[in-house]
Amino acid sequence: MTFAVGAVALVFVVLAPITSTDAAQQAGLPLLTDKLWFRIATTVAMFVVMASGWNIIGGLTGYASFGNVAFFGLGAYTVGVLVANRNWPFVLALLVAPVVAAVFALLVGIPLLRLRGHYFAVATLGVGVAVGEVVNNLEPLGASTGLTLPIVRSDLVFFYLMLGAAALAVLTTWIILRTRFGYGLLAIRENEEAAAVIGVNTTFYKVAAFCIAAALTGLAGGIFAQWNSFINQENVFAISDNVQMILMAVVGGAGTVFGPVAGAIALELIIQTLAGGGTSAVYSQIGLGVLLAACVIFIPRGVIDFFGGRSRLSLRYFRQTLRETSA
Amino acid sequence: MSLLTVRDLNKRFGGVNALAGVSFSVDQGDVLGIIGPNGAGKTTLLNCISGLYRPDAGDIRWEAASISGMAPYRIARLGIGRTFQIVRPFPSMTVRENTAMGALFGRPEGRLQPGAALGEADDVLELVGLGEKRHYPVLRLTVPDRKRLEVARALAMRPRLLLLDEVMAGLNDVEVELALQMVRRVRERGITIVLIEHVMKVIVGICNRALVLNFGRTLVEGPPAEVLKDRRVIEAYLGQRYARDQQAPPSPPPNGEGNDRG
Repeated sequence: MTFAVGAVALVFVVLAPITSTDAAQQAGLPLLTDKLWFRIATTVAMFVVMASGWNIIGGLTGYASFGNVAFFGLGAYTVGVLVANRNWPFVLALLVAPVVAAVFALLVGIPLLRLRGHYFAVATLGVGVAVGEVVNNLEPLGASTGLTLPIVRSDLVFFYLMLGAAALAVLTTWIILRTRFGYGLLAIRENEEAAAVIGVNTTFYKVAAFCIAAALTGLAGGIFAQWNSFINQENVFAISDNVQMILMAVVGGAGTVFGPVAGAIALELIIQTLAGGGTSAVYSQIGLGVLLAACVIFIPRGVIDFFGGRSRLSLRYFRQTLRETSA
Repeated sequence: MSLLTVRDLNKRFGGVNALAGVSFSVDQGDVLGIIGPNGAGKTTLLNCISGLYRPDAGDIRWEAASISGMAPYRIARLGIGRTFQIVRPFPSMTVRENTAMGALFGRPEGRLQPGAALGEADDVLELVGLGEKRHYPVLRLTVPDRKRLEVARALAMRPRLLLLDEVMAGLNDVEVELALQMVRRVRERGITIVLIEHVMKVIVGICNRALVLNFGRTLVEGPPAEVLKDRRVIEAYLGQRYARDQQAPPSPPPNGEGNDRG
């Protein structure tokens, strides 16, 4: 049943933009035919990539990174520099973006992934902020003025590019969870020393997970750069984006394949709705904060787990998840 | 050649010499019991062997090759499995999945895929007596069962040497008896065992050699029955005065109170 609904929704999302505006209006499907909705749908797909990427290092491996936005920014600036300054074709530049992000993850991951828990979170936060500041002060990267790319006017292309990246991110997670590599990551999350003494090469696994997360996030950043055609420190190195991707993954269900997807769709739609709310938006923001806090406390395994089968909306469910997740 | 040779092993934590020159060797088929008072360095020794700690000095040899300071996962794949005194299961997994992890990663020969590893897990779970509970989430297991699971996960690696850190601590008499039977079955599979234990019944009942550590040094080594009668061992556990009283009552007035090593 859920699958059928999902399949119909997916077909709609994928095909709706191709059908002509007239056809869609006649069929009563205004959703993806106007510009605003294109923008929102593309943004949702972008956050699906970021939340899924974060999920690989934060959800599967248990290392809560607060610096993933640096990978997004590096991907964006890779495309920005190559396209704007070196006149590369966008597609070629886009292939380089994930590589740059992954190499950076390799360099910072080797020292930082020795830290655990809060120390890792704070260290990655520092890296995220620092990279943004460095970029903001480098003249070849446009410094504080930012970089402007030649405008490509095609909502359709960027929507499908982001959708493709989102599908790639979900598929990557799905494959990881079915391989030896994925079990190794879970073992590290659950007890790193126990994982090491049964033969898991913990350092390699952690760094590899970090690099995969970085590559996906960098890809999203690269697409964003051309889509937005303007990048600077504020729009590609925003710590708030990092917080958002974590919230999406956690609220949706960290460590699952579809949790980050559900979280990204739900939260981004709520945020977009609130953004148009005028003065009442302030109160709505507070409401959103309370909702998120409640989600993390009462359904720490995310909405996917909550709606996914086990007894729901019962004290027993809340008590059980509380007991199992507070260690 | 001995399977495992430890020579002059030293490990310091700040100003504490947790290990101050421990030497011993383990031959194929041995069951070596390590005993000693709290803080004697028993777990530190195991952590050095399994690679979680890097020794400050001395050498650990696996057959001919030095493994001192090697990464834990490489030591594991050489065929050295271990359990933890405070159990460390993977909490989100079932008993069967926990055990399969050992088979998935710890094999010296060839790689297993997840499906094959689960099959291997069933075999090992029968051996430790958890066969009927293999689909339980680990959080539903009792303490004795969690200790069995530690052993199962290590056994799934098909180790040649198994290091057991107090698998019987906190168990009642019946449970200790069951655990003893389990260790015997492991021994019958030809696995060499080094175990840390405070339960003397276990040391006498199953070990062919015993090693007593005190303050990071080897105090006595030999057959368990003799070792437990040794005056130095009684001193280490119960103090000098007790040892003296035991051997020559009535005692002269003590000039050094208790255990002067502290």
